[in-house]
Amino acid sequence: MGITIAVLTLGGAGLVCALILVVADRFFAVHEDPRIETLTALLPGVNCGACGFGGCVEYARALLAVVGATPANLCPAGGAETAHAVAAMLGIEAGATDKKVALVLCGGDSARAPRRFLYNGVADCAAAHAVGGGDKLCRHGCLGYGSCARVCPAGAVEITAGQLALVHADLCIGCGACVKTCPRKLIRMIPAGRTIHVLCNSPEKGPAVKKACQVGCIGCTLCAKLAPEAIQMNGFLAAVDYARELDNQEVVDKCPTHCIVRR
Amino acid sequence: MTAYILIIVSAVLVNNFVLTRYLGICPFLGVSRNLPTAVGMGAAVIFVITCASAVTWGVQVALLNPLRLEYLQTIAFILVIATFVQFVEFVIKKTSPGLHRGMGIYLPLITTNCCVLAVAVLNIQLQYNLLQSVAFGFGASAGFALALVIFAGLREKIDRACPPESFRGTALALLTAGLLGLAFMGFAGLVKI
Amino acid sequence: MSASKPKLSPNVGVHPAYHKEATSAKPIEVMPLPPLLRVSMSQHLGKPALPVVKKGDTVLRGQVIGEAAGFVSAAVHAPTSGAVKDVAEAPTAGGIMALAVDIAPDGRDAWAPAVEENRRKRADLLARLRDDPAAARKEVVAAVADAGIAGMGGAGFPTHVKLSPPPDKPIETLIINGAECEPYLTADDRLMVERAAEIWQGALIIQAALGAKRVRVAVENNKPRAAAAMGAAVADSAGDCAVVMLETMYPQGAEKQQILAILGREVPSGGLPMDVGVVVENVGTALAVRDAVVNGRPLTERVTTVTGPCVAEPKNVLARLGTLYSDLVAFCGGFARPPCKIVSGGPMMGLAQSGLDVSTAKTTSGLVALPRELVGAFVSMPCISCGRCVEACPSGLMPCELSQMLEAEDYEAAAGCNVADCIECGCCAYVCPARRPLVQHMRRGKAWVAAQRRKP
Repeated sequence: MGITIAVLTLGGAGLVCALILVVADRFFAVHEDPRIETLTALLPGVNCGACGFGGCVEYARALLAVVGATPANLCPAGGAETAHAVAAMLGIEAGATDKKVALVLCGGDSARAPRRFLYNGVADCAAAHAVGGGDKLCRHGCLGYGSCARVCPAGAVEITAGQLALVHADLCIGCGACVKTCPRKLIRMIPAGRTIHVLCNSPEKGPAVKKACQVGCIGCTLCAKLAPEAIQMNGFLAAVDYARELDNQEVVDKCPTHCIVRR
Repeated sequence: MTAYILIIVSAVLVNNFVLTRYLGICPFLGVSRNLPTAVGMGAAVIFVITCASAVTWGVQVALLNPLRLEYLQTIAFILVIATFVQFVEFVIKKTSPGLHRGMGIYLPLITTNCCVLAVAVLNIQLQYNLLQSVAFGFGASAGFALALVIFAGLREKIDRACPPESFRGTALALLTAGLLGLAFMGFAGLVKI
Repeated sequence: MSASKPKLSPNVGVHPAYHKEATSAKPIEVMPLPPLLRVSMSQHLGKPALPVVKKGDTVLRGQVIGEAAGFVSAAVHAPTSGAVKDVAEAPTAGGIMALAVDIAPDGRDAWAPAVEENRRKRADLLARLRDDPAAARKEVVAAVADAGIAGMGGAGFPTHVKLSPPPDKPIETLIINGAECEPYLTADDRLMVERAAEIWQGALIIQAALGAKRVRVAVENNKPRAAAAMGAAVADSAGDCAVVMLETMYPQGAEKQQILAILGREVPSGGLPMDVGVVVENVGTALAVRDAVVNGRPLTERVTTVTGPCVAEPKNVLARLGTLYSDLVAFCGGFARPPCKIVSGGPMMGLAQSGLDVSTAKTTSGLVALPRELVGAFVSMPCISCGRCVEACPSGLMPCELSQMLEAEDYEAAAGCNVADCIECGCCAYVCPARRPLVQHMRRGKAWVAAQRRKP
């Protein structure tokens, strides 16, 4: 007898509760596009913001708001794979998906680029840059206090023993957070898979560069002559035009300051 | 009136649910990483426990007592509380998306929180009437929110400081919670119940 | 008010060793023209001036070589006559690169004709300022702007901006700041001793331009000679004028702290002295204003204290703007022993230099060369929450908390705790037993707040 009452009571109560919830669900139902969840699952979920939206969910919302208005290839972290998956789901074109990686345009580690003074302050590049223009003798080179490494969501930036930032291209997801944070603006996004780089960002004339760094670009124009289609002189600074293919070992071998490297 | 104030004060300070009775430790440690979250969680807990006190009191008096089913108290209360929380979440989601973003995401966390159930059970054990139950529920949840907010503020500070490696994270959080509990022991004897 | 009894300070601060004895009794020495003057376009707070001369031009002393770029900016004048050797970027004392005009003096030191013209034009300005102040005020402000005067205490805020308060903020009190609370520096002290009457005349001109009722000259009680000299200058003036002797304390030369000490008024958070009806001007600025209005001369020189244990003959030097630090040091006998740290300005707020290739600016109150034993290399440690910085902060901030927030890059939290009210006096870092770079953290926080304000 007792058990019957108990079962009936609780069962009844459970039923009533369930009914309330069912009714409530109907009554207070909020229409939310179920595709948002599916689409978010397709994205890498790093929430790095490189797409220009506030995280992966927001990008998914934007993709669905007006299908086709937001390109499917905005996620650099996901690259081609994600873009194609997203495009296939929405039935739109994937668009160009060249993977980009960050490159630090400085090769002057502490052994080869001296410091002007002993900096004894906050270990942050922007802070160091604000003190007398930074402690590195070269006013354009990497300070190596690791601001870029701290903002990197993928942990792709290493501060080497020579106090120099180094982006590991295989780990880089191409979000560009480091580019924004560098106070000296010497990190650039380049197409992945490129091997030959001019690792200098100093626009100064040759003698000034030579004084500040052993591996700086002195503007000798030799590389621009050897590979005129892919390397341009930007004032006194050689710059690789990553829009063109460059696979010319000669420029690496002949660069007098070894500022051009294969990596 | 004094009786109600005493119930509230004793539940907030003297018999603080987190720091004296050690109930609801899971959300206390889980949702106290920063102050805004703690405030949101605190508000959600105050709302749920206060309302749940009234509802469970009703269930006990109207359903369990007449049918002599007191032994089903725990399971019945969990059922009612879970339904109630879910229902509230639906309503908030529909009526006020802003409030849902701020407080709603914590609601499911509370559903199976021992703190909520403890208040409902204690209400019956202490033989409170409806108003006293609500007052006790409010006091208990306000105490929980107070502890949570204080703890979140402390943890924010601790995160910014540089504790030794072996203390970092949960270790120091538990130590801090212990010290906070010691501090709350100072309220013992403030209200005699 | 009697000039003998120091007024007890309501401020909080620190009492560093002052070391002023090396130069406080030495008369100001005029430095002969160096072979090269490198005149920076960024000698003031605000936008750098725009150079209007080019390589190969010849300039005369007082001729405009850089025009003010906007309202909060100041013109720059040739400090002597000579040839422009180059217009190129050069480091400033703050370490940033700014355009600078290199002038090779021709030795004639001939004034530009505009100076004489200005002098004649303004000959009766003093009289008119007495008779019809409303009309003459604008002329004074224009004369100050023409002369390129910027606050000579160290911050370098363009003076004409300070002299043009908005009409809804009437100025009631003018404070002439002779506190010179920075250790080692004696430039203002000597200026007051030697040129009290001229400073006072400048003060009266500023008072008339602002329409202020009261004038107070603030001197700290470690400069009795300056106080006496200023007292004598003030004595025969009508109106509510007085010299106030302040208890010596750092940073009482900071304007907000000085207003509190003299008038008991607190400048509101985020506000300016004009919000409490006060303008504070440095004694050097007052002298420059007098020179501009009475003599028609723009700002082309200033007194700089070259001192510190490493300098062979510490001196107060009257040098042309643009004098290279290396020339200044050479004039003072060079270094008696190698310095470990050279600070432009006082040791508390000054900027450490990485070389002597920087030139003096309108703000260069001193050059202090410190030996290794006074610099002390240190490693900064985590905050131990001792609270000494909180006790020392004259702005009532919590530097320990703020620095930890900023270390964690939680800028919003720091802004919420009023990091923008920091005056960068360095008291917190001075007392910090963990040797934390507190001021640098504050600067980062302030820079972030400023960047947020600039955002639309």
